[in-house]
Amino acid sequence: MIDVDVTDTGTIIGNIKPHQFLEPPPILVPPEGGKIANGDDDNYYGMAMAVDNDNNDNIIDEAIDEEDALRTIEKLLGDDLPSRIEAATKLPMIAKALGPQRTREELLPFLSDSVDDEDEVLEEIASSLGKLIPFVGGKGHASVLLQPLELLLAVEENVVREKASTSAIAISQQMNDDDYQTKFIAMISRLATKEWSTARISACGLIPVAFSKMTNNPHMQLEHVTYFANLCRDDAPMVRRIASRNLGSLLNTVVVTIGPSSLSEGGLVWDILLNLYESLAGGDQPDSVRLHTTQNCVVLGQTMTLIKEQVLSSSSSNTSHEGGEALLRINMIVKRILPLIVATIDDRSWRVRWTAASKFASVVHAFSSLDGTMDALVSAYEKLLQDPEAEVRTAATFNLSEVAKTEAVVYPAGWTGVGGEGVGDVDSDSRRIPVALRLVKRVIQLTEDDSENVRVALAVVATNLAPVLGKDATIKTLLPAMLLLLRDSTSEVRLNIISSLSMLNEVIGAELLIESLLPAILDLAEDSKWRVRLAVIDRMPLLAKQLGTVIFSDRLLSLCVGWLGDDISSIREAAAKNLKELTALLGSEWAVQNLLPRVQEVMENQSYLRRMNAVQAMSLMATVMDESTAQWEILPVLLEMHCDPVPNVRFNVAKGLGLVGPLLNSSMYECQIVPILTLLIEDADPDVRYFAKQSIDLLTAFFESSNLD
Amino acid sequence: MTAANANAATSPIRSSLSSTTSAPLNAPSSHADFEQYLAKLTHGTPLSESEVQHLCNKARETLTLEANVQPVSAPVTVCGDIHGQWHDLMELYRIGGSTPDTNYLFMGDYVDRGYYSVETVSLLVCLKVRYPERIHILRGNHESRQITQVYGFYDECVRKYGSANVWKMFTDLFDYFPLTAVVENQIFCLHGGLSPSVDTLDHIRQLDRVQEVPHEGPMCDLLWSDPDDRQGWGISPRGAGFTFGQDVSEQYNQRNGLSLVARAHQLVMEGYNWSHNKNVVTIFSAPNYCYRCGNQAAIMEVGENDKSKPSFLQFDPAPRRGEPHVNRRTPDYFL
Repeated sequence: MIDVDVTDTGTIIGNIKPHQFLEPPPILVPPEGGKIANGDDDNYYGMAMAVDNDNNDNIIDEAIDEEDALRTIEKLLGDDLPSRIEAATKLPMIAKALGPQRTREELLPFLSDSVDDEDEVLEEIASSLGKLIPFVGGKGHASVLLQPLELLLAVEENVVREKASTSAIAISQQMNDDDYQTKFIAMISRLATKEWSTARISACGLIPVAFSKMTNNPHMQLEHVTYFANLCRDDAPMVRRIASRNLGSLLNTVVVTIGPSSLSEGGLVWDILLNLYESLAGGDQPDSVRLHTTQNCVVLGQTMTLIKEQVLSSSSSNTSHEGGEALLRINMIVKRILPLIVATIDDRSWRVRWTAASKFASVVHAFSSLDGTMDALVSAYEKLLQDPEAEVRTAATFNLSEVAKTEAVVYPAGWTGVGGEGVGDVDSDSRRIPVALRLVKRVIQLTEDDSENVRVALAVVATNLAPVLGKDATIKTLLPAMLLLLRDSTSEVRLNIISSLSMLNEVIGAELLIESLLPAILDLAEDSKWRVRLAVIDRMPLLAKQLGTVIFSDRLLSLCVGWLGDDISSIREAAAKNLKELTALLGSEWAVQNLLPRVQEVMENQSYLRRMNAVQAMSLMATVMDESTAQWEILPVLLEMHCDPVPNVRFNVAKGLGLVGPLLNSSMYECQIVPILTLLIEDADPDVRYFAKQSIDLLTAFFESSNLD
Repeated sequence: MTAANANAATSPIRSSLSSTTSAPLNAPSSHADFEQYLAKLTHGTPLSESEVQHLCNKARETLTLEANVQPVSAPVTVCGDIHGQWHDLMELYRIGGSTPDTNYLFMGDYVDRGYYSVETVSLLVCLKVRYPERIHILRGNHESRQITQVYGFYDECVRKYGSANVWKMFTDLFDYFPLTAVVENQIFCLHGGLSPSVDTLDHIRQLDRVQEVPHEGPMCDLLWSDPDDRQGWGISPRGAGFTFGQDVSEQYNQRNGLSLVARAHQLVMEGYNWSHNKNVVTIFSAPNYCYRCGNQAAIMEVGENDKSKPSFLQFDPAPRRGEPHVNRRTPDYFL
């Protein structure tokens, strides 16, 4: 082990040696340690990883003295991985204890020497460095932190580099302008030209960020865009992939930083960035590079829309010539980009098409206010809906209602018009229809899709088309498709459509809905999948409201009580709650006549679980009844159940009495409820005793406080 | 009053047990801790290390009081392997009802294989502590120090808590889990199966169960054995326990006045499976076992009146956001 004398504080830092790899960890420690959470599947572990991990943010507040600091550094040198990781999270405390000068002169150089440690340790060092500015002597010295970060930005593990990037950006925001130019930007230049591809990957993400502060320095701007262009042409596909991922944000930063002039011929966008768009979308690139084309185009569309709005709002006051020029450029740029988007939907790689499909609503919204795009985009979208791969169709279908919401108008499908000159022509423009009206034709086709996942997706989004279409079009075009989906062979499709019917209801009105849907709903009420039944139960109060008492009692009442005897516990519970809702909706008298006799039947069921749910239903119903009904109709039935042979029923009676009690007057409580609860409080079963005690405590407190009033 | 007395008369164990435990049970302060734990655990949040310590200490007190052949009264819902599939355990509760409303008997294998062993075993143990009358938890062959080091529980504890302390607390507690249970003197419930060195229930009652599951002998067999189509005893392909034939089951049930052996331990595609001319039933409660087997799960409801005719509820995995739906057809090579 490394020999450290903690009392000799003067020399300790100087003695620190970089961590060396020691023997492999003891056999029982799993090799992957805590690293699993970094993977893509972090939803498996994400929840669990939260255990005891929440103390990191307060760590700076926790003051420690120098001796503790040195002891922590010692841990950083140890061979126990968890304690090295822990020590790395405490760097801000260590730096605080050491003071600015020693942090700069000893701690940071030491950290620079430690970059060959395990990734988990480096990850913590990388994120700790971002919090060190207050402890290195303030903003003036912030640049010293870049030394270790520059090394971390070049390590192999991508999580470490990402943390280091975040820290580097945070630090750069606090640097003064001079340091920013000479230190931070210089670091990026070095990274962009390093031999190691990992350093160049880090540069891909940093250039777009740094560019926003390169105002009034065209030379530097050009230099960095050139670096980025080189990264886009890098030999390593990994680098090109990351460059491709960052291209959109660079374009946005460039346009926002420089303004509309960047769009003109000779400007960075037209001359360099659009070329990069084209080359990274090219068929000779690997699909992982082409994959980012869609998102990059979305950013471009958003940026162009933004500039267009700026130009339009300012052009009235000054130089409308420049404004017109800018709008012209935007049109030209969009014309160059549009083929790239359209090409993604014909891409040979299904991943590229899938990405396009899953982002297509964003694409449409980004370009919807830019002229001359919608006809091409909507045709492209329709093609995605018919893609040979089911995954692509599913992703596209999920976007259906969002795409349809756009306010742009398009020619009807198959309309060829009078040639390209037709744009702006009043006659041909009048033939345009809302996008929703064109897409609804696709819905019927999709209900017959071979893949159930596509139909499931359709059932989720289809009803959202109703408000966009309006009442007449919904009845004519959407409703037939809905009826088909309600009879789909896959239960999830039926479930999704049932769950989203209220949207349809608002548009076409209850009567029509019931007329066409009631038979289907009756079918679903006895579906073999319990979640479908549950969804139907949830609709019942709504249906009762819309059907009126007579029709409801006639057609749906026995179903509602029948669910109380369902095999599945969740259905029985939902049935009990539903009976409460119905009682509240249709009144105490109705409930006494229609529900009570049937619920009482269930109370004699062979199964304790059914009897228990009947007790629960009774108690819940009582809570929404008037006092006399609760007292004379419900209470006696409930009290009778206290001598059920199964304790579970008895303690549910005790719980139920706790619910019903507050509805009664205090004399009724004293002479009816108290004797039974007193009996239950002496029950042989501890849980019956517990819940009886709980109810009696609750009710005693309730009646004491109401007596005081 | 008569009802309470009648109930006490039909379940002697319960009244004797409640007399020893009634003091802590009635003290609300001790409940408060565990209700708070339950609130966390039913949302899938694991307990902290010190909470697990507290839970295990309390659970040991509760489980010490239980017998090797724990008498359980009907009605009760009997469940098989869970294997760390916490989401599916939640689905089981949606199907069968929640504790304390529904009575449960779990037949072991709470940990390993699934990704949420810690959450699963913490929840079941916590329910046991809070509602000792409403839920019974038996020991499975995976409730062992050795097996959990290989099949995931150990690794999961280290990953989630940064050390093996929690694993140690739970595996130390597993030693106290009852080995078997008898529902109303009729249905013999255990994880694995019968043992050639055990003829009667009294035999089991005499075992010293507080120890790591041994490599051989009666305690090992009860947790490892499987029923088989061949008559008599056979060597188990698992390397522990035995296989036993219909003759063995029939003889055993007859000698002990039992009507049925209910056990878990084996994956069955429909969630439950009768064998040995209805002398043995296998119950498996982890749907889509290991997130890939495509099997249904089942639980067995034993009613209060007709105990010889239990009913079965089958269920599928809980739908989970973001997970692709697995095709229910399992490739043949996997079976």
